[in-house]
Amino acid sequence: MYNDLLHALPNVFALTNFIAVVIGVIAGIVVGAMPGLSATMAISVLVPFTFGLEPLVALGLMAGIYNGAMYGGAIPAVLLRIPGTPAAVATTFDGYPMAQRGEGGFALQVAVVSSSIGGIASAFALMLLAPPLSRVTLLFGPSEVFWVAVFGLASIIFLLGGNPVKGLISACFGVFVSVIGSDPIFGNDRFTFGRLEMLDGINIVILLVGLYALPPVIDLLETPLKTDGVNSSKLGTESIWKALPRMKSYWKTWLRGSLIGIWIGILPGAGGSMAAFMSYNEARRTSKTPETWGEGEPEGVAAAEVANNADTASALIPALTLGIPGTAVAAVMLGGLLVHGLQPGPMLFRDNPDIVFGFMWQFLFGAILLVLLGGSLATNSFARLLNLPRPLLGAVIIVLMLIGVYTIHGRMFDVYLMLGFGAIGWVMDRLKFPLPPVVLGLILGGFAEENLRLALRIGRGDPMILFQNTTSLILVALTIAVIVGPTLKRRYFDSRMKM
Amino acid sequence: MPESRKSRLTRPETLTALGIIVVAAGFLVPTSDLRAISALLPAVMLIGLIVLSSLLLLADQRRAGEGVPATPMTQSPKRVIGAFLLIVAYALATDFIGFYVSTAVTIPLVAWIFGYRSPLGLLIATVIVVGTIWAIFDFGMSQDFPTGRLLGR
Repeated sequence: MYNDLLHALPNVFALTNFIAVVIGVIAGIVVGAMPGLSATMAISVLVPFTFGLEPLVALGLMAGIYNGAMYGGAIPAVLLRIPGTPAAVATTFDGYPMAQRGEGGFALQVAVVSSSIGGIASAFALMLLAPPLSRVTLLFGPSEVFWVAVFGLASIIFLLGGNPVKGLISACFGVFVSVIGSDPIFGNDRFTFGRLEMLDGINIVILLVGLYALPPVIDLLETPLKTDGVNSSKLGTESIWKALPRMKSYWKTWLRGSLIGIWIGILPGAGGSMAAFMSYNEARRTSKTPETWGEGEPEGVAAAEVANNADTASALIPALTLGIPGTAVAAVMLGGLLVHGLQPGPMLFRDNPDIVFGFMWQFLFGAILLVLLGGSLATNSFARLLNLPRPLLGAVIIVLMLIGVYTIHGRMFDVYLMLGFGAIGWVMDRLKFPLPPVVLGLILGGFAEENLRLALRIGRGDPMILFQNTTSLILVALTIAVIVGPTLKRRYFDSRMKM
Repeated sequence: MPESRKSRLTRPETLTALGIIVVAAGFLVPTSDLRAISALLPAVMLIGLIVLSSLLLLADQRRAGEGVPATPMTQSPKRVIGAFLLIVAYALATDFIGFYVSTAVTIPLVAWIFGYRSPLGLLIATVIVVGTIWAIFDFGMSQDFPTGRLLGR
């Protein structure tokens, strides 16, 4: 299978595919630098525009955006103490004090180099771990696939933290949306209410744009940006190549942060912010001068940024092999794959090796390009993006959302549907209902139903068919562990605290 | 101090839970017309939504009874409602009077209402955005946008 990986390499250097990664990285940095916008939102808005593109061009754009946005979030975090993305919160601790004493340029350079190293490590992890895992999953039959879907949903609901009841409501909503349309086996209509537009079901892009793009736009228009940031024109930037020797002592932090980020990325439900905090705390704990942390220690920026980029590609390991995304961005990227007819899961590696392995290479090159595009060339200019007026930005995103959704089928019905999902998404966002289970419910709902019904037909209606082999039982046990694990862990820590 | 009956029922989580219960119950009705195997998953999900929302409702009411204040969904409801209405109005305008006219009006209007008041900046931004959309989608990709039902085209 690693031969396929090497065979896919030349595809990445095809001009259009390469340009897509470059554009993606630049766009990602821009989006990440805008407080209130995120990689998830950018990819949601982008997906409908990629319909007519070759799969590797579309995936290159997504890989570039994901890599770029994770670094872009560091720009306002350093200059304004406002994390551009949630994963950049830990970057503010030392990045902002550095900017206050006129070292904002160096802080951004540490951030971009660390982000790039984290991204490269993550891409290698994806390349090394995903192929063997996919080979195992090729052995799965309908009942195992059904349990994989249940395990995926349970993971994202219970490991995401927060209120599990709200997580379950989100997942039920997503699965319910997945059954709207024609029944896959009997062909009768379900919940279409006579609308021809609903017969094919709800296109995932409509849901993604509504849930992930509309609420941030409302946020942009709702609150004016208030900052106490330093003047971004006084960054004190020197060439990144001159700054590199100052960073050579951070290699242990980069190594540790990369491993933490990769591990957190693989775990369903965790995410970049958790990786950044864990890496920051570990680096501080092992530092010889922990008292300087929080007051402008460049290694603190390195620790946070290397980890939040190291969870990017690794979050796709369970997503590509099992169809279980580790993060919200990975869930949206799964939607992007579906748009191009690529069903995440074991068959993806067998049927489309050029595309799936090419995608992995694009992640690697996206991470390398980060230093070239976000480093010496662009740090100063990207910092000025923060001056773009938020209301104008909001208005432009509204237009892009409408175009993206309208062009899927060329009908306004989809736009109205998207607005409905957007309103639901805004309420869910404000009441802290997690959004990833909705997307995963939509992706896995149909998949789970189809395989459940297939398994029941094989077993002639006997539900015990779902428990008749070792793999199914292991998956059931893992699902139960994921459901009860967090509660047991909390009780254990509570009892230790009381002692 | 426990909240009054009216304010307890207008807590955002309570209203949301009630809304989910009503809508899910409404969607349960058509499942009776489906074959049992077709209705299995949607019915389970809808019943799940009703049960889970009831739990959410009870938990929220218990908090209300303990005097825990509800977190407001927004600090500036007028701006949020205004933003939603403008977006819906833009979609309707696109449908009824056409895409380009609506877009050329919406971009400066939304930006102006929400605080960006530079006429030159608005003009430049509108021309760039509308021009780029036309060049990429209409000219480059032959993508047709709505021309407006009211205009009969």
